[in-house]
Amino acid sequence: MPNRKAKYVYTPRKQEIPLQSNNTSLFTQVIIAIAVFIFAVTLSGVLSINSMIQTWNQSILGSLTVQIMPVNDADREKAQAETLAYQERAIDYLKNVKGIAKISVLPDSQLQKLIEPWLGDGVDISSLPIPRIIDIKLEPGAKINFVQLAQDLAKASPQASVDNHKLWLNKLIDFADGLKALAMTILFLVITITSGAIFYTTQTSMGMYKDIIEILHTMGAKDAYVAQQYAKRMAFFGLIGGLIGLFLAIPTIFFIASLAQQIKGGIISEAHLSFGDWLLITSLPFEACIISGITAYYTVKKTLQKML
Amino acid sequence: MIAKPNNTPAIIEMNNVGIRYGQGPEILSDIKLSLSKGSFHFLTGKSGAGKTSLLSMMYLAQKPSRGTMSVFGSNINFTNRDNLAMLRRKIGVVFQDFRLLEHLSAFDNVALPLRVCGMDEREVRQRVTELLSWVELDQHMMDMTSTLSGGEKQRIAIARAVINRPELLLADEPTGNVDNDIAPKLMKLFVELNKLGTTVVIATHSEKLITDFKYPILHLQNRALHIRYPSDISSLSRTGGKYA
Ligand SMILES: Nc1ncnc2c1ncn2[C@@H]1O[C@H](COP(=O)(O)OP(=O)(O)OP(=O)(O)O)[C@@H](O)[C@H]1O
Ligand SMILES: [Mg+2]
Repeated sequence: MPNRKAKYVYTPRKQEIPLQSNNTSLFTQVIIAIAVFIFAVTLSGVLSINSMIQTWNQSILGSLTVQIMPVNDADREKAQAETLAYQERAIDYLKNVKGIAKISVLPDSQLQKLIEPWLGDGVDISSLPIPRIIDIKLEPGAKINFVQLAQDLAKASPQASVDNHKLWLNKLIDFADGLKALAMTILFLVITITSGAIFYTTQTSMGMYKDIIEILHTMGAKDAYVAQQYAKRMAFFGLIGGLIGLFLAIPTIFFIASLAQQIKGGIISEAHLSFGDWLLITSLPFEACIISGITAYYTVKKTLQKML
Repeated sequence: MIAKPNNTPAIIEMNNVGIRYGQGPEILSDIKLSLSKGSFHFLTGKSGAGKTSLLSMMYLAQKPSRGTMSVFGSNINFTNRDNLAMLRRKIGVVFQDFRLLEHLSAFDNVALPLRVCGMDEREVRQRVTELLSWVELDQHMMDMTSTLSGGEKQRIAIARAVINRPELLLADEPTGNVDNDIAPKLMKLFVELNKLGTTVVIATHSEKLITDFKYPILHLQNRALHIRYPSDISSLSRTGGKYA
């Protein structure tokens, strides 16, 4: 007579739907790893561009200088009168620009002080063809398109010009904004494609395990029971794939940063990732985990509606 | 709700039910059936007569292609998915082809209906080990199901069907693969469950079962359902099983 005593041996509870034991699981992890890699590198780009734009904006914000080039004429009196007329026209135009708080013409005394180091004391500036300078205080937070302003100003008063550095920075900011928009599009596409891949692998897997799912249903499993199993698995794949992607992305980000450092001129060196930026980048595996889980959950729910 | 003349609530009620697969012909037509609580029926009919099809409607895996059907008083056409799941929890099924999860142990297979309802693992372990030793499978409790014999699988399938103490037990050829000495023991299990109030339907080809246990018979022939009562059974065998 064999020993009839019950032999219960504790073993970790096995998956009812054996999701870890097929090759779609490897595929999912690879897809997510690639997605997180691209996402992390692109995101670091976006964040660097942001930091650059911020630095540039700060140097643009606050104030603006407009120069009125002196009119050249043998008749000095006439030339001066014409220069002043251009100055008035520039001021008239500027008064109507939104976002400008205060317009002040630099007085002769101050102009003289600025020039002194070059020309020495006692020069009568009224006798020299010196540019007139209009100092403009901008309202805090004013959004001004300097390129547009420069064009309009030149139309209103051909002798007036906005200082070059600002204009150049402004163009750079526009370029950076465009780059940022492109990068954001990439980020959006990466999320869409990854969710799509999770959707299709989940559906494929459900087709593969249709028999098991039907048995679970007959036992009285609700849709959520099946959905949870898939969500847990996919979330796990998301985390693993995400960690691998991040692991590869970090050295890549440093490599790109070192390349950027080599471009002299200080433009790129204004780019840096803050602690918060790094926190965002290193949290990507967790976001991949959550997105994978949620996508799988709703894919299962939706697909089960088509079964009885 | 349909008023019942005899006041015992029907577990399953079918009216003008027909079933077909895809665009094929009807396998069963105009089925009218009312299973009262606590009843015990055999389901017979030639191979291909539609026994499995009829049972699959009863365990809510298949919707009738026409007619109305209610299970535990709920019209299944107006029951949402979660509530259908709740109805299925009250039904135990022994499939003709077992449908065990081959990659799981005998234990995990029997535990399935309990875990699906979210039962506490300690109680799961207690109930499952108890039942597995009752069907004489305690030696194979932790064995992978795919390594077991046909008769052992059948006993696992039966254990899984009854572990939840179902209100309705549907068994498709449940004693087809087991030894002659264990078949009566399994039948005794069904009878015991029936005495405790479970409504039972057993599809079978076995003449011996039908004659040994004098329960009414649901017989499928020519797409129709006929009900015969034990007193008619001797006349049935005399006419060679042909009646209309
Ligand atoms: N999934 C299906 N798709 C198409 N036809 C089916 C399907 N299942 C069953 N059938 C057909 O329905 C008819 C009844 O089959 P069913 O399995 O219900 O018979 P059965 O009485 O259980 O037979 P058996 O005694 O051999 O188990 C058969 O003609 C079969 O070919
Ligand atoms: Mg059958």
